Amino acid sequence: MAETILQVKHLSKSFGTNVVLRDIDFTVTKGDVISIIGASGSGKSTLLRCINLLETPTSGEILYHGTNVADRKVSAAQYRSHVGMVFQSFNLFNNMTVLENCMVGQVQVLKKKKEEAKEAAMYYLQKVGMAPYINAKPRQISGGQKQRVAIARALAMEPEVLLFDEPTSALDPEMVGEVLNVMQTLAQEGMTMLVVTHEMAFARDVSNRVVYMNQGVICEDGSPEQIFTEPRRQETRDFLARFRNT
Amino acid sequence: MDKLLELGYDISRLWSAYSSTYFNGIKNTLILAVVATVIGCLIGLVCGILNTIPYSKTDSPVKRFFLKLIRVIVRVYVEVFRGTPMVLQAVFIYYGLPYFTDGQIAFSGYSGMWAASILVVSINTGAYMAESVRGGIISIDPGQTEGAKAIGMTHVQTMLHVILPQALRNIMPQIGNNFIINIKDTSVMFIIGFIEFFAAHRMIVGINNLYFPSAVIEMVGYLTLTLAASFLLRLLEKLMDGSSSYELVQVDSLTMAAGTYSHPHRGTPFDEVSGEKRERLRQKLRFGRTRGER
Repeated sequence: MAETILQVKHLSKSFGTNVVLRDIDFTVTKGDVISIIGASGSGKSTLLRCINLLETPTSGEILYHGTNVADRKVSAAQYRSHVGMVFQSFNLFNNMTVLENCMVGQVQVLKKKKEEAKEAAMYYLQKVGMAPYINAKPRQISGGQKQRVAIARALAMEPEVLLFDEPTSALDPEMVGEVLNVMQTLAQEGMTMLVVTHEMAFARDVSNRVVYMNQGVICEDGSPEQIFTEPRRQETRDFLARFRNT
Repeated sequence: MDKLLELGYDISRLWSAYSSTYFNGIKNTLILAVVATVIGCLIGLVCGILNTIPYSKTDSPVKRFFLKLIRVIVRVYVEVFRGTPMVLQAVFIYYGLPYFTDGQIAFSGYSGMWAASILVVSINTGAYMAESVRGGIISIDPGQTEGAKAIGMTHVQTMLHVILPQALRNIMPQIGNNFIINIKDTSVMFIIGFIEFFAAHRMIVGINNLYFPSAVIEMVGYLTLTLAASFLLRLLEKLMDGSSSYELVQVDSLTMAAGTYSHPHRGTPFDEVSGEKRERLRQKLRFGRTRGER
C-alpha cells in the first residue's frame, strides 16, 4: 500500500451562490499520475486551485499527510512549497531571467544558498531542455519553452506533488508535444502528479488514474482502461464520445 | 529686428551681471526637486504598499480593522494633499507650526526654509505617488502573484521580489512626470522665501525692471532642465528594461547540435559517404551529370 499524500474530504467551494464543487472526496497516493478530465466549468481547475489553497474552500478538509491545511492555523505558504503548481498561463516572473525564475523560490522559501540553488535550477532546466536559455527573459521565449521553464521552476522546489492546471491549453498545437514529453518523463520517474487536461491521449496513455468531473462532482474515478473503454456512467460516455468524433 | 537685437543686448547684460544668481537658483531648484521627488516616491511607495495589503473575510477582525484603518488614513492623506494648492500648503505648514506652538517650534532661518520646502514638496509628491504606486501594483497580472504563491512565497516575498520590481518599472513614467512637475512647481516656494530659479528672477527684475529679458532666460533655463530630466529618465527606463536580446548558453556540445539540424534525410556536407557516392557528387559538380547517364 503506497503512502497517502493528499486526502480531500467533503470539499465544497462556492463563489457567492454559484456552487462550483460539491462534496468532493478524493485521495492521492505516492506515485499517482491522475488526470482530471471534464467539460469546461465542471470544476476541475477549481479543485486543483483549492488543493493548492489558491482558492479557500468553503467547507471540507484537505489533509496533507494527515494535517488539515485548509485550516487557518497552518501556514499556506509553507504547505505550497511542498505542492508545486504549473499554470495554464505559465505565470513566470517577467522581471527575472529563466534561471532566476527557477532560483528565487529555492533561495527565498527554502533558504538555500545561491550556488546550491543555481545547481538545482540548472539540473531541472537541463531536464526540460531549457538549459541553453537561462539568460532569456520570459517574454523572449515561446509558449512551449515558457511552460517547460515553469515546470522546471516547480520541480526546483522538489515538491511531493505537482499540480498541472491545463498545462497545454494555451499553447500552439506544435508546442503541445514538447510539454507533454516532459510531463511523460516525469510520470515515468515516479513523480506524483495531478493533471487537469483536455489531452485525452495523455490521460489514457500516461496516467494511472482518470477522474471525470461533471458539474462540480466527481462523476467517475478509475483506471484509464476502464474509463476509456467501458465507462460506467452515461455522462462519461457522452463526454468521451464528443472527443472521439473530433 | 531692432527689438531682437535689443533683447539680445539686455539678456547678455543680465547674464553677465547675474549669472551666479541664476545658477544658484537653478542649483536650489534641482536639489529641492531631486530630494523631494526621492522622498515623495518613498512616501508614495509605502502608502501604495500598505494600501494593497490583501485581506479576506477569514482573517481576524483585528487585522481587518487595522488594514481598513490604514486605507482610510492613506485615503485622507491623498485627498487632502492632492486637493489643495501647494502654495497654500507651504503657507499652512510654514506659519501653522509656530502659530500652534507659540513660536516654540518654527521653521526658522535658512535651514528651516529648506526643511519646510522639502517637507511640503515631498508630501505633495507622496500624495500623487501613492495613487500611482497603487495603480502600478494592481496593474500587475494576478498570475504573477499566483505563480509566486504557488512556490510558497509569502506576501512580503512576493511583493519584494516579483510585484514591486515590475510595478516600479511600470510607474517610471509617473516618477518622471512628478520629477518634471517638481522642477517647475518648486517655484511656488518663493512664498516662504525659498530662493530657487524663479525667485532669482523675481529678485533680479526687482532691481532693474528687465522683466521680459529675464523671463526669456527663465524659459530657456526651465526647458533645458526639464528636457535633460526627461532624457535621463528615458535612459534610466532603458537600463531597467535590460538587453532586448539574450545569449544562448552552450551547456554541452550536443545541446546546440540538437534541434539545429531539422532535415535528417537530406544529409549534411560532413556526413561519411562511400567512395562511389563521393565520386558521383564530384562528377555531377564537374560535368553537370554523372557518367552513368551519359
